[in-house]
Amino acid sequence: MRLLRNLVRIPAARVALGILAVVALLAVLGGQLAPYDPLHQFGDVLAGPSGHHLLGTDYVGRDVLSRLLAGTRLSVVGALEAVLIGLVLGVPTGLASVWAGRLGEWLALRASETLMILPFTVFAIAVAGTLGNGLHQAMGAVGVLTSPVFFRITRAVALGLRRTQYVESAELMGASRLWVLRTHVWSKVVPNIAVASAQAMGSALLVVAALAFLGLGIIPPTPTWGGMLSADLGFLQQQAWAPLFPGVLMMLTVGSLNILADCIREASTGEVRRRRGLAARALPGRPRAPFGLLGGADPAPDRDEEAGRAAA
Amino acid sequence: MPSAPIWTQRSDSARPVALSRRHLLGIGLGAGALFVLEACGTGGADPSFGGGGGAGTITWAWQLPTTWDPVTSSAGSDVQMLALTYDALTALDDSGNAVGWLAEKWAYNDKGDQVTFTLRKGLTFSDGSALDAAAVAKSIDRGRTQTGSLIAPQMTDITKVTADGDLDVVVQLSGTNYQYPLLFAGKTGMVVNPKAFEKDADALATKPAGSGPFSLTSYVQNDHAELKKNPHFHLADQIEVGSFKLYPQPDPTTAVASATSGQYNIVRIPASDIKAAKAAGLEVQVLDSTFVSVLDVNASMAPFDKPAVVEAMKYGIDRETIKKVSNFGVGDVCYQPFPKGYVGYNEELENLYSYDPAKAKKILADAGLSGGVKGTFTVPAPAAPAVEQIQAQLKAIGIDLTIETIPASTWTQVVYLNHSKALGYDGFAGRESPVQAFQVLFSSTGLMNPARQDDESLQAQIAKVKATPTDDPSYPALLQAATKTAVTTYPNTFLYEAPFVIARRKRVTALKQHPSLRRFEGISA
Repeated sequence: MRLLRNLVRIPAARVALGILAVVALLAVLGGQLAPYDPLHQFGDVLAGPSGHHLLGTDYVGRDVLSRLLAGTRLSVVGALEAVLIGLVLGVPTGLASVWAGRLGEWLALRASETLMILPFTVFAIAVAGTLGNGLHQAMGAVGVLTSPVFFRITRAVALGLRRTQYVESAELMGASRLWVLRTHVWSKVVPNIAVASAQAMGSALLVVAALAFLGLGIIPPTPTWGGMLSADLGFLQQQAWAPLFPGVLMMLTVGSLNILADCIREASTGEVRRRRGLAARALPGRPRAPFGLLGGADPAPDRDEEAGRAAA
Repeated sequence: MPSAPIWTQRSDSARPVALSRRHLLGIGLGAGALFVLEACGTGGADPSFGGGGGAGTITWAWQLPTTWDPVTSSAGSDVQMLALTYDALTALDDSGNAVGWLAEKWAYNDKGDQVTFTLRKGLTFSDGSALDAAAVAKSIDRGRTQTGSLIAPQMTDITKVTADGDLDVVVQLSGTNYQYPLLFAGKTGMVVNPKAFEKDADALATKPAGSGPFSLTSYVQNDHAELKKNPHFHLADQIEVGSFKLYPQPDPTTAVASATSGQYNIVRIPASDIKAAKAAGLEVQVLDSTFVSVLDVNASMAPFDKPAVVEAMKYGIDRETIKKVSNFGVGDVCYQPFPKGYVGYNEELENLYSYDPAKAKKILADAGLSGGVKGTFTVPAPAAPAVEQIQAQLKAIGIDLTIETIPASTWTQVVYLNHSKALGYDGFAGRESPVQAFQVLFSSTGLMNPARQDDESLQAQIAKVKATPTDDPSYPALLQAATKTAVTTYPNTFLYEAPFVIARRKRVTALKQHPSLRRFEGISA
């Protein structure tokens, strides 16, 4: 909760969250907000913006605004699906690799390294070619390739905490592994994962768009931002401005996610508090616990130390 | 903040030179500007680029062949590129009739089961060796007997090919067939130098050995081919360019720009770019072609195993709107595999399946299918706009199709060889002989007949066509009757004829209207 409180103190984060809230709203209600059926073909093809069609019509006469609104859901859901698969595969294995013994650690590291050398788009194309061309197949592939990012971040944080005195004390006093993970490790992992998730979400959105651009993942006539962008490029001579609409939406969403990721990092490391003079009220000389990849201070050292003492 | 210096060493001095970040930024910007200027240039020193190829080079962004061997070529459209390096025995005139090419004349015996082609005198291959009757006989024999030959099915009724002297090639047939002069105007009649295939037939894939207007000097698969004028070509005096560079068709978004910038001096463009090409100062030509857009229907797979669904589909597609929207009004709506003006074109079929959604719905209702029909519509990726139009139009009459895209590279294998798709969107490039076209589209061995279905009445009609000399007055009527039988019996759904649109730089002379092959005699650049 403190992370969230710190986050909303940052103006850039508020703007990013606002934009993402609108995108989320469109993802849920875009189809209902669309003025026309996004698949309906009007007689007026490649028409410019007008009172009837605020953003004009596309190459077969469909309302562009309706397709943009309706296309938000699949574009965002696809990216979310990839990130969730990455999280599910990467985070538990990252934690487990620290406590799983040398063989488990070796296997997890080699698997992660193998996945990291595979190129996203080529792998997604190969999976779509093998399992069939569909959103879930493509996003499954992207999710699998995203998982090493989460694996390595989780593992790096957990590895640092594994050797802290309060974790060792807790283990010596008989605390279960699950209790240690839940009490001492998880709270340190979450901010790092949040930052990585926001960044991965932005990347996944671009990958969804890139795959749709290549004709993979989402099949026409289903609207998606990437699919619209790809189709619009075929009619630049008639509507040079048409790719701007899906392009701007993508830019805003991905930009907001990246800003949000940066702000989460800032909020989790206490930079906000320091900037706002809160740091001046902090106790002088307080030791900083080793913490994760973000290179900052432990967001709640006192609570953890107290918990360690309690466990002891 | 002061810029941090980056130290480097002068070659002639022991004193290091400081490069600040600002200096580096300046150097970077300068280099970037140079790149931009270079990219915006017209190709500069290469005489084949810019200015329309003033040194006599045609630089055409068109298509590369699947192979340079006419015997193993797997695409009908390859004939265009192969004709740059090979000559066929005959050629087609503007109406699709056979005329002499390597063979100046031919004669059938009375029974029509033997045809003798008489070659022009003094023909040679591009390597200077003699192109005589013996070479032609060997070349035809290779085409009909080599393992893996894709033209062999066209020549199953040839029993023997012999050379009679230096100029006469005698083709003996198992039965009457007057189609050979037409058939030999395409890949089937292209003469390959026996020296080349007797030494290494596989090498022909990248090293053509023919007698055509050009000979290949350099070939990078999927990238480009460079050819130079063949001085041994029998019409060499009519070839006015020194070289020919062939490239794949560019991305439609860059087609006009690539011609405007001088990267190519002739480029194939989509119909949507005609206006832009004219505005850019390019000459636009809409050339006749035999290409017809078609839906390949596998009548052995649901839901097209029900004849009512196929018939409703034929009436439920608004071809005029598709032509207008997807092809920007270029071309003609058609319901048959032959373009207007071709001898096989049947005028009775002109409005055969005119758009009638009410009739389409009634056909489905009468067959008890008014509750809706579901199916899959397979198309090469990325899906063409016409595909989305067809899907929407068929949905309106109660045929709900899910679009499935597959890579274009797997299309032939998946759709035509595995027969694993119910409905596909493709085009038929036409063939030199109408019987050959029927074989491809409607015979039990036809590549574009996904269900491999056969029809006795059509085969009987085709037999009559083959047994009739092409200059016989009854020939057109027989052929047109076969067209009607085929179109009304088979599920293939023809949509519209698509002409060949090119944009060329002004220094390149206009290409001649010719429905089958693009010819370059008399073309200068």
